[in-house]
Amino acid sequence: MADIFNFIFGVVRNIFRMFSSSRNPLNNSLNIFIKCNTGNTLTVGLDPKWDIKDVKNIIAPKLGANPDEVKIIFAGKELDDSIIIEDCDLGEQSTLHAVKLKDLSIRATKQKKCSLLRETVEDEDEITLLQEKNNRDKSHFYVYCSVCAAMKIGKLRIRCSKCKSGAFTVDTDPKSWNDVLKPNKISGHCEQNDCPDGVFGWAQFYFRCAEHICQGENDIAVPLYLLKNNLRKIPCLACTEIKDIVFVFTCREAHVTCLECFRVYAVLRLRERQFVLDDSFGYTISCPVGCENSLIDECHHFKLLTKEQYEMYQKFATEEYILKAGGVLCPQPGCGEGIIVDLKCDKIVCVNGCGYVFCRKCLQGYHIGECNSVDNNISIDNIQHVTDPAKALQARWDEATNVAIRVTTKPCPKCRTATERSGGCMHMICTRCSFHWCWVCQIEWSRDCMGTHWFG
Amino acid sequence: MANIASQRIKREFKEVIRSEEVARCSIKVELLDDNYSQLKGEIAGPPDTPYEGGKFLLEIKVPETYPFNPPKVKFLTKVWHPNISSVTGAICLDILKDQWAAAMTLRTVLLSLQALMASPEPDDPQDAVVARQYKGFPEIFISTAEHWTNIYAGGSRKKEEYSKKIERLMGIGCNMDQALVALSGCNWDLDKAIEQIFG
Repeated sequence: MADIFNFIFGVVRNIFRMFSSSRNPLNNSLNIFIKCNTGNTLTVGLDPKWDIKDVKNIIAPKLGANPDEVKIIFAGKELDDSIIIEDCDLGEQSTLHAVKLKDLSIRATKQKKCSLLRETVEDEDEITLLQEKNNRDKSHFYVYCSVCAAMKIGKLRIRCSKCKSGAFTVDTDPKSWNDVLKPNKISGHCEQNDCPDGVFGWAQFYFRCAEHICQGENDIAVPLYLLKNNLRKIPCLACTEIKDIVFVFTCREAHVTCLECFRVYAVLRLRERQFVLDDSFGYTISCPVGCENSLIDECHHFKLLTKEQYEMYQKFATEEYILKAGGVLCPQPGCGEGIIVDLKCDKIVCVNGCGYVFCRKCLQGYHIGECNSVDNNISIDNIQHVTDPAKALQARWDEATNVAIRVTTKPCPKCRTATERSGGCMHMICTRCSFHWCWVCQIEWSRDCMGTHWFG
Repeated sequence: MANIASQRIKREFKEVIRSEEVARCSIKVELLDDNYSQLKGEIAGPPDTPYEGGKFLLEIKVPETYPFNPPKVKFLTKVWHPNISSVTGAICLDILKDQWAAAMTLRTVLLSLQALMASPEPDDPQDAVVARQYKGFPEIFISTAEHWTNIYAGGSRKKEEYSKKIERLMGIGCNMDQALVALSGCNWDLDKAIEQIFG
């Protein structure tokens, strides 16, 4: 009997020894930075199975304090002694904040059971906390990560809005995206020694990419907050399929498309030049149902397009900006350089681009007198007589292209965009400037045009 | 054809088939190809209008960019209406142009067209000749529209007087469509119609 007892005791002791020895040379340890409110940063290897109490035991001597004089802060929350590291969603090279308390009595009043901040901010959602818990594995924030150059799952992090220190605890959890995106919504207090706000401050929320190793404090990602987990199983309004991640438009009805349909929609409107240049949001589009006040207010969402498509987006946005600012785009094929010049001047030189000299009004080679037929143009280019055979061949193609454009298109009377009429009535609406004009009269569309030659 | 468009049309097609309007034979839709890009629609002329009793066929072409851009719809059945071209069947309806929204469907399009037939908007005409008649000679407009419905869409109301005038013109070498268009456009003035055709 005693033998059996000894045997069991031995086994238990061995297990215990194995367990305790695993604390020293760590195999699957997490390298974590611990930033102290005194200013210094420690690098420690933590076993994911440890709890916060263990972390405190390691940190305390380095801070010159007792373990119970230390509090550990992560993502806006003081971590309770019993929390296990692997439940904290700490990535490799994350930063924890350690604070040495000056007065233990403050702590006693502050101590309460804190839950960890979870990735579950839902706008005005009736989804209960219970449901959120069940969906925790599926529920994520989405960000655009410039390091990965892609849409990734993100983590919400908190710092002091004044001193940017992460040693900041929030008084309440954010309830909606409004709380996260708008400044000064969630209060808290900053533990950083030299922070001017200190006891009462505002939280600043930011995001990290969850899919690459953290590259320091400034490695932050842009939240794509219109992307949501489709917990309520809403079908895409375009293809009607129910997808896990959806794009929710900013209209009151919160219309939903899947990501694929969002891309198709955005590229289509981009090609049609139907994006608008909004003063506060940038170059953007509204909900495909045409709801009022539904412009996408964070242009990083267009990073969901392919690289080529995003480049086109940037190019068009720049062009629209230049046109809106009263500038012109160089009409030379392959150039398109934006030029901002004096409004009174009709002779424009493409200074930083191809050097082409053209007329602001007709966008043809610069000429003296009225802009009539192009044949009468005195092009300054003609003065030079050095001919490159390759360029001459190219020029023939360019000329043929110009002729084709001239024959098959008419310029919009307002913005001069070459427009092709592929069928239908004579009522034209410019895809670039939305001007309504008559194909026959080449002036603004009127009731007269409607009455006499709507259909030719 | 883009996958989104065909998938969406497939659903909408089913929606129309199951709708109560189909049950009362008010609208109908038929597939013309396997990839859901071309359909044939049919709407019944709304009651208490000159189009009552007629069946109007529509050509529906679904663009690859559907549902972000509207379907191209025109009347295959000839119809006398201020907002529908009496020559080409082209339709002037805002939701088929700039007022289109991705949430609209084949069913809402067909119902909107039916509503347009019941309440023309002569101030935004597709066919100026018809619009002028609608505003200036409303009685002639109604009987003309009824006559067209009788000839092309199987309606029961027609005017003997109109039929005789058409026959007269056909007797001097016109075809039926030509005679009808000319007479309708001239408020059934036979001399003016002859002048228009031969003058």
